[in-house]
Amino acid sequence: MALLKRKKASITKSVTKTKDCSQLRALLIADSAQDRRCAARDLIGCPHASTSLLEQLACEQETSVRQVILSSLTQIGDQPAVTGLVHCLRSEDVSLRNEAIEAMKHLPEAVAPIMANLLNDPDPDVRIFSVNILESLCHPAVETWLIDVIRDDKHVNVCATAVDLLGEVGSPAALTELNNLKQRFGDEPYIQFTADLAIRRIQGG
Amino acid sequence: MTEESISEQDFAKFAEYFYRKTGIKFDSSKRYFVDKRLNERMRATDSDSFRHYFTLLRFQASGEELQHLTNLLTVNETYFMREDYQFRCLVDSVLPDIVQRHDRNKPIRIWCIPSSSGEEPYSIAMYLLEEWSGINDWDVEIIASDIDTQILDNARRGIYSERSVRGVPLAWKRRYFREVREGYQVVNDIRDAVEFTRVNLSESADVRRMRDIDVIFCRNLLIYFDDLSRKLAAEYMFEALRVGGYICLGHTESMGRISSLYSVRKFPAAIVYQRPLEAK
Repeated sequence: MALLKRKKASITKSVTKTKDCSQLRALLIADSAQDRRCAARDLIGCPHASTSLLEQLACEQETSVRQVILSSLTQIGDQPAVTGLVHCLRSEDVSLRNEAIEAMKHLPEAVAPIMANLLNDPDPDVRIFSVNILESLCHPAVETWLIDVIRDDKHVNVCATAVDLLGEVGSPAALTELNNLKQRFGDEPYIQFTADLAIRRIQGG
Repeated sequence: MTEESISEQDFAKFAEYFYRKTGIKFDSSKRYFVDKRLNERMRATDSDSFRHYFTLLRFQASGEELQHLTNLLTVNETYFMREDYQFRCLVDSVLPDIVQRHDRNKPIRIWCIPSSSGEEPYSIAMYLLEEWSGINDWDVEIIASDIDTQILDNARRGIYSERSVRGVPLAWKRRYFREVREGYQVVNDIRDAVEFTRVNLSESADVRRMRDIDVIFCRNLLIYFDDLSRKLAAEYMFEALRVGGYICLGHTESMGRISSLYSVRKFPAAIVYQRPLEAK
């Protein structure tokens, strides 16, 4: 036994065959998780891929398959994919929710048109998750959205999440609403602390 | 343009953001190093203030500027036995675990990506011969890949400078290198033990050719990818690994920030990541 000579190594031979879209759809519900992952990855170029992927996501139990489905939805990034991801934000399944948040962070152009609606959702948890999406969303309106949240949102936890992020992305444009927020939640020590920190950072910059 | 002064608040804001994106932490003792490079990029992007530059860095959809800055803030020197605590972990912990469930009739496969100019895969070959008694009982196949075909050619030639081999123990240097006009050349036995092949880790079809890998060394590469590409690369490598196989990342990299597919394994010499045994 020893280090094998490179001529004996067989690893780089191609082992895959191209499958058509109907085969991939069938594989997406196969028993083998590996088959389902491969199908989820390769379906990207197929028509109505988002719909098939979202259907499988709704019942998929294997974490590794779900991750690949979410990555494929992120790469597709069409309207059905985004709608499906928004739906995941309301899931009771914490890991699915977090995975959807991570996926949506990569879709600034697709998420931007619906962000205002998400930030005004009746469910405060969905509003918090939406602020979480803003954390890594590369979009010029992020600060404006955050300022709107700290000006209008009645829920202290939603505001606290937004202020944390304003400490990083805020400019002098946020100062007035940060000071107003401190008055609005005068008896909330965390808001006082985190708003002061954001103000210091903005003024110190 | 003169050097812009970067306030403490700005530095803290930048350091937090950069840590979140890359896993690289800069405290105030690194101010000179970081400020110098931030100023360089501020000049290159015509940013008239740190705030202006940070906005570009933070919100640029392509992520190109973050990439430029990451390149400047990371040291990309490769040499023999670099971060060799991971090789110690390989022989003391990872391989002993793998052989417990490995088919005796199949070789153990180790894949290095990126291979760069070959220092890492050759180091692993030498380390296995010198430090792993299991080499007497198991066949080991070492595959090394890079996207750059020129660098693969260099790797196959296996000729290195004095600086590159400075970390090799003297006795190993005598055994595994011969002096040539340009420096030191890895001996044929070791060069023959590494198969160099071009792979683009961002291409699913490329990675799909890699199968049944037991250990992947993917050090200091993912840091140069954007978030989504990093996540996809982690998924492709998951597929390339055998169930229970391992990934070793660079010392500033953390799989936890990339993907939740893997389990963290804390061994005495290093932290590595494993494709879970229960994963299907």
